[in-house]
Amino acid sequence: MKNFYRKVAFGLGPDEKVPSDPLEWAKDQLNEIPEFSWKGKILPEKELRNHYRDYVYGDRKVLRKKFKNDKDGYKREKNKLRHATGQKFWWNLELCIRYSEALKSETPVLAKLWYFWGNHFAISEKDFLAQYTTGAYQREIIRANMNQNFEKMAQEATIGWSMIHHLDNEQNIGPKSQEAKWAREKGKTKGVNENHARELLELHTVSPDCGYTQEDVIQMAYIMSGWRPKWGKRRLETGDVHFNPDAHEPGTKIVLGKKYKRGRKSLSVAITDLVNHPSCRKFIAMKLCRYLITDNPTQEMMEPIINAWEKSDGFLPEVHKAAVEVAFNYSDKYNKFQNPENWLLQMSKMADVDLIPSPSFMDLYKLGNKPIKDQRALERLMDELGQHPYLAKQPNGWSDMSEDWMSPELLIRRLVYAREAYYKKSGKSQTTEFYEEMIEKNYDDPTEILQIINQHKELVHKHVILFNLPETLKS
Amino acid sequence: MKISRRNFLKGSATTLFLAGFNFPVLANTDKKKNLVVIMLRGGMDGLCAVPIIGDKNFEKRRKDLILDETIKLNSDFALHPKLKNFHNLWQNNLGAIVHATNIPYTKRSHFDGQNLMETGGHIPYSIKSGWLGRGMKLAELKGDGLALALPMPLLLRGIPSNDNFYPSKKRLPRTELLQLLKSVYTDKSEHDLANMMEIIANRSMMSSGGTSMSRKNSSLAYKAGLELKKINGPRVAVFEVDGFDTHAAQGGVNGSHSDSLIEMDSIFKSLEKGLGPEIENTLVLTLTEFGRTIEQNGGRGTEHGYGSAIFMAGGLLKKSQVYTDWPGLKRKELFEGRDLNSTIDARSVYASAMSTVFDTDFKRVQKEVFWGDKLQDLSDKLFKI
Repeated sequence: MKNFYRKVAFGLGPDEKVPSDPLEWAKDQLNEIPEFSWKGKILPEKELRNHYRDYVYGDRKVLRKKFKNDKDGYKREKNKLRHATGQKFWWNLELCIRYSEALKSETPVLAKLWYFWGNHFAISEKDFLAQYTTGAYQREIIRANMNQNFEKMAQEATIGWSMIHHLDNEQNIGPKSQEAKWAREKGKTKGVNENHARELLELHTVSPDCGYTQEDVIQMAYIMSGWRPKWGKRRLETGDVHFNPDAHEPGTKIVLGKKYKRGRKSLSVAITDLVNHPSCRKFIAMKLCRYLITDNPTQEMMEPIINAWEKSDGFLPEVHKAAVEVAFNYSDKYNKFQNPENWLLQMSKMADVDLIPSPSFMDLYKLGNKPIKDQRALERLMDELGQHPYLAKQPNGWSDMSEDWMSPELLIRRLVYAREAYYKKSGKSQTTEFYEEMIEKNYDDPTEILQIINQHKELVHKHVILFNLPETLKS
Repeated sequence: MKISRRNFLKGSATTLFLAGFNFPVLANTDKKKNLVVIMLRGGMDGLCAVPIIGDKNFEKRRKDLILDETIKLNSDFALHPKLKNFHNLWQNNLGAIVHATNIPYTKRSHFDGQNLMETGGHIPYSIKSGWLGRGMKLAELKGDGLALALPMPLLLRGIPSNDNFYPSKKRLPRTELLQLLKSVYTDKSEHDLANMMEIIANRSMMSSGGTSMSRKNSSLAYKAGLELKKINGPRVAVFEVDGFDTHAAQGGVNGSHSDSLIEMDSIFKSLEKGLGPEIENTLVLTLTEFGRTIEQNGGRGTEHGYGSAIFMAGGLLKKSQVYTDWPGLKRKELFEGRDLNSTIDARSVYASAMSTVFDTDFKRVQKEVFWGDKLQDLSDKLFKI
């Protein structure tokens, strides 16, 4: 049962009491969205997007022209521009905010589910989104909606600037739209870009199980045509997302048998229909089970989550509570191989590793400067562990399947960074008594675990073994 | 320019000839053969790497990017002067090029293009495995892949238990600790973990012998060469080279495209060194998402294009040659009036390579890896079979 604390959160830290009712402890964390526990600076998405704008504009419109014959000069000035716009800093700050929720907040269960949703509506590696806006998108659109209906999160994520740009919807132009006509007059062709529409169906809502066709994808893309950032000479593609009727495909569209009229409202109506499709709740229930419990969820596991969804109209706190309860009920039967990020956070929490730089230290950063090494520690560490949360390779996010995290090099990283982490612990947590207490609190069979790790004398070795035992790798 | 539209690779005789032989796996399995794929990310400019000689259209549109002192390969094509190692291979019949080729992706997003170059599909993100992984699965090569990268590239997905090597700068724990974990894994029937720990324990012994732990592609390639050489070592290796997206300051022998080409070239050299005589049983291929526009842009760089080139190296090549069905560079011959066209589906090269190296019937590769898409069997034209 004790693996439940790691399944739905990151284990119990040294200052935490063992909850008398573990399930209630978990459920109580899911009603409200508290303030961030990070006490340092937190920038709004819009401000970060402006930094991104300055970078894109400066590189594309200024430096490339100015240094067209001077590769080294170009590189030098581009580096300056990176620092002038905080390119190496912001994502480290975002990681501090992100990990504080796991390690320092009263709501680690909410944090673990936040990571789930951030990855569900993933912004994968594209341009420099990760360095500037992905973290803020996950704060303002994903986390902020975790006490709302799924529909609201889906609506906002779909027309969020990050998502629209990430999935190329700015290039999605109705072939019969005004803009396409203008383009034809100039001898150019403009047409639909299906990318975003496909992912909305496949990854974000109903999934291929619902049986949509390629024609549904195209029709969905027609509905989405015209939703794009407001273009400006200076802001380029970084303007706020709006609906531009000139790029919108006229006429009625049909998706999954339902008709949608032309115009601005059709997208939101279509999303409402998608999130209410039975395949959508089934898909989300499956993904939650896969994330928390096992690679291959059973119908039985999914059922209570689907029921909670139906009863509450997809109200996320209820859906989350149902998922957590299923995880509790199956905690003795299933252990889930943890991805590198969750593994690191568990180790940091249980063993009291000082993972996150302090707010005052991070706030020392001045725009224009190169951040100092320790301000960039988290970005580097996540890269080394093989899972930077803002750099998933594809729009389907980081994998929830165990086999994708099983490779020798990835396991090596857990060995060497377990060792590194040990030296980031305070002296009072570098004692045998500390480990005995921690293991007692977090593992079902402490005697066996202690017997294994005690085969090595030095505490650092015990630490490395503990965090690479199957009981830890799988929770 | 002497080249006209030639049909080097258009013969359908090959396909007809092979059609009679439908063995699932061909018999020639006595030698261990290796396949190496180098992914060139960002859009490799085939016309910068392998420029055409004496084409007025080319010279006119790229006047600031034309290279001096290129290495002449034949009457029609030259080689970028910094590709010295590749040129050595070429001189020993160990290097060849397929030109005016690309995956069937004609839009210009890196993001979508790189996804498709790895999956081999038509619709971005619709396929969740790589063509190489599927090919290995077909040939039952479980545990035979090595990625010189972290995490596992999509290209190798589709078969489990691939190895990867991308050394951490930190020291591994002592061997006794690794052995203890391995025995715990075994006791608890965690066989996948136990197998990996075995690999790690062996690796730890090797690295204490002073093997370089650099992440530079040149040293990774040396290491990979040594592994591929082993009879029980991996049979497939995958590299990544970034930085081909040169929108600015691309030009000249020392331009930014050169830096990435030099890195690619260093892989050829180190692989050859690591492999020793086993280079004879190895085939190395490059892979990119698209080429670049013919026309230089305002920043003396190039924009995203279409047709590019594939570099090939190793003893499984038939001979040194530039294989192409050259489409020409007049405006009407260009793709959408701006890019070198692709006249050979790059996947025909990759399918033929897998068929040759994995000793698997081309038609099965075509059917099971590339969904029966219309591809040409080029095996007997390009490779020793």
